[in-house]
Amino acid sequence: MSPVLLDMTAPTREDFHIPYHDVGPRDLPPRLALVAGLHGNELNGVFVLARLANFLHQVAAGGRPGAQLLGRVIVIPAVNVLGLNVRSRLWPFDGTDVNRMFPGYSKGETTQRIAHAVLEATAGAEWRVDVHSSNVDFEELPQVRLYDPSDEERRAARWLGLPAVIERPLSPTVSATLAHAWRAHGGRSLVLQVGQAGSLQQEHCERLFRALIDLLEQLGIVLGLRLAEPENDVHFFGPRQTFPLMSESAGWFVSRLEVGQWLQAGDLVGFVYDGFEGKPRGEIRAPVSGLLGGLRRQPLLCEGDLVARILTRQPFGPTADTYLEAQGQ
Amino acid sequence: MIEIRRERFLRLELPYREHLTVERAVFRGGSGPRVAVVSGVHGDELEGLYVCHRLAARLEALAAERPDALRGQVELYPALNPLGLDTLERRVPIYGVDLNRVFPGHPEGIVPQRLAHATLAALEGAELVIDIHASNVYLREIPQVRISRSFEEKLVPLARRMNLDLVWIHEAVTVLENTIAHSLNDRGVPCLVAEMGVGMRVTPAYAEQMVTGILHVWRELGVLDPALELEAAEHEPLVADDDNVVYLNAETSGMFVACVEHWKEVRRGDLLGRIVSPLRGELLEEVRSPVAGVLFTLREYPLVYEGSLLARIMWTEAPA
Repeated sequence: MSPVLLDMTAPTREDFHIPYHDVGPRDLPPRLALVAGLHGNELNGVFVLARLANFLHQVAAGGRPGAQLLGRVIVIPAVNVLGLNVRSRLWPFDGTDVNRMFPGYSKGETTQRIAHAVLEATAGAEWRVDVHSSNVDFEELPQVRLYDPSDEERRAARWLGLPAVIERPLSPTVSATLAHAWRAHGGRSLVLQVGQAGSLQQEHCERLFRALIDLLEQLGIVLGLRLAEPENDVHFFGPRQTFPLMSESAGWFVSRLEVGQWLQAGDLVGFVYDGFEGKPRGEIRAPVSGLLGGLRRQPLLCEGDLVARILTRQPFGPTADTYLEAQGQ
Repeated sequence: MIEIRRERFLRLELPYREHLTVERAVFRGGSGPRVAVVSGVHGDELEGLYVCHRLAARLEALAAERPDALRGQVELYPALNPLGLDTLERRVPIYGVDLNRVFPGHPEGIVPQRLAHATLAALEGAELVIDIHASNVYLREIPQVRISRSFEEKLVPLARRMNLDLVWIHEAVTVLENTIAHSLNDRGVPCLVAEMGVGMRVTPAYAEQMVTGILHVWRELGVLDPALELEAAEHEPLVADDDNVVYLNAETSGMFVACVEHWKEVRRGDLLGRIVSPLRGELLEEVRSPVAGVLFTLREYPLVYEGSLLARIMWTEAPA
């Protein structure tokens, strides 16, 4: 029987729970808490955390010769269970965003109760990781997001071996997220952005799985698991080094690029076609050189839509900060 | 002479042929103060659209009968989230973003940010903005004004004259700093947030009550001729704050059926409603008032999950 975070009645169907995995020595406080699926349509993290929990259970049971589990790990593959089952980002009953309900309240609205339970189960862990997958329109290169981090968090971000580590200031107004609530509890936490919501990107999932194994190994929670991988290139980007590339025209957007490519200033990012006439309306080119950290996958384009994020060595002005915040996960 | 115009203050291209346009109605009288009413920030809230219609009707009648009585300028912005209203969605469609959480917006951002930015720019310099909300589809509210503690001093005197039943002063909340009201008040444009009725419905009696209140406030501000005769404003608000409001949340999931009227005095222990199971005859929960007070929020949508809000009561007698 898996433990449950929260046990709830439902109006017309059987009771439901938010189950989680509690692996390793239970008499110790958790060394690491892993959370995904605050948004029900962000599937990469849910899948990888479920697979990882299975793996850790095997290690704990001695099913992986040479590997040892020394610390306790909490794994919550999906917080928004109903959202996941009905493929909704938000809590489906009342349309609230679970990641805007923290720190929650045990006697409040349903999603406040859920937030409270998640925080209770994870706040005491020495390290915590919250895994996200952008939204259904946009694909993010697997990356670590650091919000006003400590040096220890910066170091740990590197251990994951994901291609990009992006530092941002903690938004003063988007303050009801799990990452914010963790911060208020002290301790150390990381937010990961991996791929695109609404589908599974196998390659990103494999990368995320390896990254989490590396983190477990580096933190000394597991021994004997380190995968024989060449050192990945990890690139750090500061608060003014994410260039959001927006489209000024509406229509169809098509691109042949893949996230993770390096671009030179002037390189072609994609084409825009008129929605009805089908005529080309223009090309979108990279205004700066850098790593393609995110790419639009939704072809329908409104004025002002984000088409790409370029992670650049050249810091630039603050204009886009407000914009980035509104996209905050 | 009252000049009446319809103006488009934002036009954005959509992917396939159409445009997203946002309009306002402008009634220009004399050189007196300029005021505005905004609504439809949430696509599932319609009460404010009807208030705008009623105000437009009153102003058009004035234009015909007492053209000198409009001393200032009135602007009506009934539908700030037109795509949401057209598609019955609370948030801004495509983006899933709550428009009332992206203010002050950005002129070069995504559509919701441009909507927010253009709205703020249009309202710049107004002497009073009233932002009308209609709760949501779950809860019914009596006509009320909600004011953040940060702007209490300036706004409460105005709110008291709005012919409403309740003024609710709440503590400053960080997440509400991205609302239209906060952005306006922060920029020195007084903005009152009115809440009334329920989502996806119109409550004509509440609309009339609010129209009367708005006209009275405009007359006091000098937007309307001080000698203009208006129907009497008969409602005096109670004043609630975070210390005298209790929330009743469902302890179990099921169907909530109220057995009292909204906006009613209740005594401690009074039965307010029942939560029942659609599968069994059994009663799951009796919902009773823990205090003596006034029931100002009542659940309209019957299905509830554990935690769903059922009612809010402002107590008039301190709880034991």
